[in-house]
Amino acid sequence: MEYKGGSPGESALIDQACEKVLTELDCDFVGLALQNTDGPDVRWHYAAGNSNEKYKRITVRYGKGIAGKVISTGRPMYVENFPENVAGKALEYPIMLAEALKHAYAVPIHFKGIPKGVLLIGKRSGQPINENMQSTARNAARTLELKLNG
Amino acid sequence: MEIQPAKKNISSYIIQSQEDEIKRIALELHEGVGQTLYSLYTGMQFIQTAVDQPEMKGYVGDMAQMMEKTIQEIRLLAVELHPPALGTLGLLPALKSYLKLYTSTYGITVDLQNEGMEVQISERESITLFRVCQEALANIARYADTMSASIFLQWKPGQLSINIEDKGMGFDVDAGMQKSSGLAAMIERMCLISGKCVISSKIGEGTTIDISLPLY
Repeated sequence: MEYKGGSPGESALIDQACEKVLTELDCDFVGLALQNTDGPDVRWHYAAGNSNEKYKRITVRYGKGIAGKVISTGRPMYVENFPENVAGKALEYPIMLAEALKHAYAVPIHFKGIPKGVLLIGKRSGQPINENMQSTARNAARTLELKLNG
Repeated sequence: MEIQPAKKNISSYIIQSQEDEIKRIALELHEGVGQTLYSLYTGMQFIQTAVDQPEMKGYVGDMAQMMEKTIQEIRLLAVELHPPALGTLGLLPALKSYLKLYTSTYGITVDLQNEGMEVQISERESITLFRVCQEALANIARYADTMSASIFLQWKPGQLSINIEDKGMGFDVDAGMQKSSGLAAMIERMCLISGKCVISSKIGEGTTIDISLPLY
């Protein structure tokens, strides 16, 4: 069973939160991925600033892709100047390819203390994501955590 | 692309050795490591039912669950390395199965059409065709910036034609050939099985890859 995102009200709340992060951080893309409730796979459920609808179809396995890696390690992940100098192949970063992102920073979102989701901010061009933006993303993830944990 | 006989033999040997090795690792993972882990998994389930202490029961249950996930990972990895459907069911079912994984990984939908009756081709030919299609699709995911693509297989008497098309960004084929060894490898792989691979693209309009293989 996939995570359904709770009630319509909750979905709207998360959508708003993604839009808020997009505006506040002056980035090009904000996405929220969540691990399915009965399996290890991870799906992108919410996005703001998306250039297409590909994210809705993308599912990565636990430990694969940015979302899968962040959930499996429970630690933030930073990708700079994609696809140069990335660990592994560019094809192992589906969301970066789908949204043509150059820089991204992904933070884990915990449910009852266990990493179950990922908040990703991305930029398609320009300067890398600095520490200030990373810190704001971490704070936004904590806020989302509170909302999702109800 | 013309390949000198000695170079052709070396290329053929390297590609064949690589495929053999990939197949060996995939089989070893599936039949060896996977089976051993499954034995351990059933053993853990047995222990779980035999243990009375609730805490220990839960702990063993968690371990069994983790083992189950690992078995699934091993199985998927083996299938990704060398699709078993290629040898047992043929090229079309193997492609169908790969496209499901492709769409769910990259979000790009692929319309697969088949015309004519699939005929049996050698394993070397089918794995080559599969790898060339895989490379073409990987290029679409990386560079085309498109939501969809299509594959058309046509089985005619004496020839198999495969057309892979996208309406994405397109690129300068000559410049692309200089920059990417993947494109040259597709052409070379097809040459090695006496087939052809023609890449045509127009910036802003998309890319077409025509693969053909003589059938005897």
